[in-house]
Amino acid sequence: MPDERGILADLKVVDLSWIVAGPTVGRALADFGATVIRVESAARVDTARVVGPFHGDEPGVEHSGLYGNVNAGKLGLALDLRVPEAREVLRDLVRWADILSESFTAGVLEKWELHYDALREIKPELIMLSSTLLGQYGPERSVSGFGTQGAGMAGVLDLTGWPDRPPAGPYGPYTDYPAPRFSLTALLAALEHRRRTGQGAHIDQAQAEATLHLLAPALIDHVNGGATLRRRGNDDPQMSPHGVYPSRPPAGRAEAWVAIAVRDDDDWRRLAGVIEGLDATLTLPQRRDAAEQIDAALAAWTGGRSAADAERALQAANVPAHALSDTEDAANDPQLAHRGHFLRLPHPLHGETVLEAPRYRLSETPGGPTATAPQVGEHAARVLGEILHYNDARIASLAAAGALS
Amino acid sequence: MLEHLRVIDLCDERGVLAGQMLADLGADVIQVEPPGGSTGRGVAPFFEGTAEAERSIFWAAYTRNKRSVTCDLECAEGRTLLRRLLAEADILFESGEPGAMAALGLDYEQLRGEFPRLIYASITAFGQSGPKAGYAATDLTIWAAGTPLLMTGDDDRPPLRISVPQAWSHAAADAAGGAMLALHARHATGRGQHVDVSAQASAAQATLGQVLAHSLGAVEPERYAGGVKMRGVGFRGTTEAADGWIVFALAPGPAIGHFVNHAVRWLIDEGALEPEQAEEDFVTFPDRLLAGEADPELMPRIQQALQTLVHGKTKREMLDISIAYDLLLAAVLDIEDLAQSRQLAARDFWRDYALADGRRLRLPAAPLQISIEGERQRWDTHPPPALGQHNDEVWGALGLSAEELAALRSEGVI
Repeated sequence: MPDERGILADLKVVDLSWIVAGPTVGRALADFGATVIRVESAARVDTARVVGPFHGDEPGVEHSGLYGNVNAGKLGLALDLRVPEAREVLRDLVRWADILSESFTAGVLEKWELHYDALREIKPELIMLSSTLLGQYGPERSVSGFGTQGAGMAGVLDLTGWPDRPPAGPYGPYTDYPAPRFSLTALLAALEHRRRTGQGAHIDQAQAEATLHLLAPALIDHVNGGATLRRRGNDDPQMSPHGVYPSRPPAGRAEAWVAIAVRDDDDWRRLAGVIEGLDATLTLPQRRDAAEQIDAALAAWTGGRSAADAERALQAANVPAHALSDTEDAANDPQLAHRGHFLRLPHPLHGETVLEAPRYRLSETPGGPTATAPQVGEHAARVLGEILHYNDARIASLAAAGALS
Repeated sequence: MLEHLRVIDLCDERGVLAGQMLADLGADVIQVEPPGGSTGRGVAPFFEGTAEAERSIFWAAYTRNKRSVTCDLECAEGRTLLRRLLAEADILFESGEPGAMAALGLDYEQLRGEFPRLIYASITAFGQSGPKAGYAATDLTIWAAGTPLLMTGDDDRPPLRISVPQAWSHAAADAAGGAMLALHARHATGRGQHVDVSAQASAAQATLGQVLAHSLGAVEPERYAGGVKMRGVGFRGTTEAADGWIVFALAPGPAIGHFVNHAVRWLIDEGALEPEQAEEDFVTFPDRLLAGEADPELMPRIQQALQTLVHGKTKREMLDISIAYDLLLAAVLDIEDLAQSRQLAARDFWRDYALADGRRLRLPAAPLQISIEGERQRWDTHPPPALGQHNDEVWGALGLSAEELAALRSEGVI
């Protein structure tokens, strides 16, 4: 039987990464019982702490729902790695840990003798994840940036927008969304390899490269002498009509929209059964040719009802459609509620906080967060005393040296 | 690292990335397709624009390193064959609509007794059960249901998806992680389990945590081209260069104010700002601004100077400047730029493969670089398989004779 503390209860992780791409991986491991120590600097707090959404819309380093979401269940330790004594603490943590996850700009850890080749000397079986925008080597490895810059370097910013407008880009730091899925899978594979062989591993993740795999068909087309994709609004070469249509906004909102996608001729016939005046016999090329009139007819129909009503009517006919949910809609979405997607946990400062559940539901060992994210340095005494067995004098001298901030 | 694992991949165009992620880490992944080929082979784009089973670039993009067998799951013989395959499998991925596998007698509940160690991962739009589980869905409608769609696009036009479909890939990548977690659970329990992934929930991750905004009492995010909008005020992060666009962030304060210091150094070197501005520290600037000790016009001036300078430089020049001065600035690369990227070239990102029919194919390399004891490991060694390319090899290894295979072929089972 699995340990009731979780299937990864024996796993020890030092999470030196920051913002989203790295911390999301540590959160996933903590969800299944791993002990994850989130190391950050109080001198320069994690940017995720100053990014919303904030509890009660009130900015503050302990108010960020983003930080809370990607750091739930971790222990918090503040270390200022510019201080040599802090680097000694980190080496002790590495001796304790199975996994080290970091996202410093390539080259920074080398300066401190904390890069993989140095740490491997003191811990040969270490599994280390280094996750940066563009990877650990190459002429552009030191490009600084958030995932918003990453979205630029991964092509996804250019490929989101209208053909007649400058690029709009996806919402936020897009490379932070695919990257942790790839690195979590690779870390768990490395852990599997270590179980069998005793060997450690170093994983060099370029977040932009991970994201490029979600654009792979367009890249492969171009590099093999085919077409060069440009941003194309909501157009789809194989689905038509395919778009976002205005619907009647509910009271208090300026706008509302519904997405409709016709996959094939069967969808089209069913759609024509719902919306009067559409020619049910049109084929894909004909529908693409008549897209302007068809879109106008759809918009006239959607404009006369709420997005929820449009969604219901079209789904009743088995036509893919969904209202464009805002975050209030998501909070009230019966499907997300059915999956328990939003979890409420008691929070020491806010009374209660809300987190997202894992997106994979494991039938036997479901996991999920059991504790909220740490406040800056919250668990220093526990980490230094109980995990590293430092005595009070050592802890006091670290504090005096400025290592613990 | 996963050479000892066998993965049976029943996914169609929905979820086909999951198996490739494990194949790229060494697993033996067998893509099982209907005798006529997966519907995923009908997804655009196509080589030379020809819509044929061996011409789908989409399918090639997500089947590298897999083996392909055909097997008609609609008939009893085909299902028996699949069961023989599952006897030696660790993980199964499938992306049928909820109930589709049950109708074939091949859902988790009906297989778990026979294959107690099997990890069975299902990828669907909304999950296996619930009020929307039966919804018809596509990339666009999933993106709408998960909330990123409403947050994306120009504020004076309808919201926008990304021009390459994303939702199923996010869900597939979650399924790969979930299956690996279930693998580690199996070490503790000795049993497999069902992994149920909802693409709607996966899409919610593409919101920078904003999906929680209402639940936490925060304001709804607003869409804004090339940047963010807060309380009706837009902040653009993109600006036009001589040959395209760059994306930057310039904000004073403790989090990223030091990057403003770096930008000011560059602007002074270019003669676009007076040298005395070098004395300003933008990490603490907001405090002085509040105290009335700093010039409120300074940040807009810096922003303007930067945009003017960028306008006369290429994306490549700006990247070099960003590296030299450590700016929070990158290029908005288009597909052609990516094909010619010096960084991707230096990292050996493009791999050339010879296909079974003699054609050459260039694909992106595995998404991560892994070294063990200082040695780089590569598992991204095999090209995407032709339909049924490994029928003899895979079915033969299960003990089927040449005669049996011939019979199954003539009956259209494989």
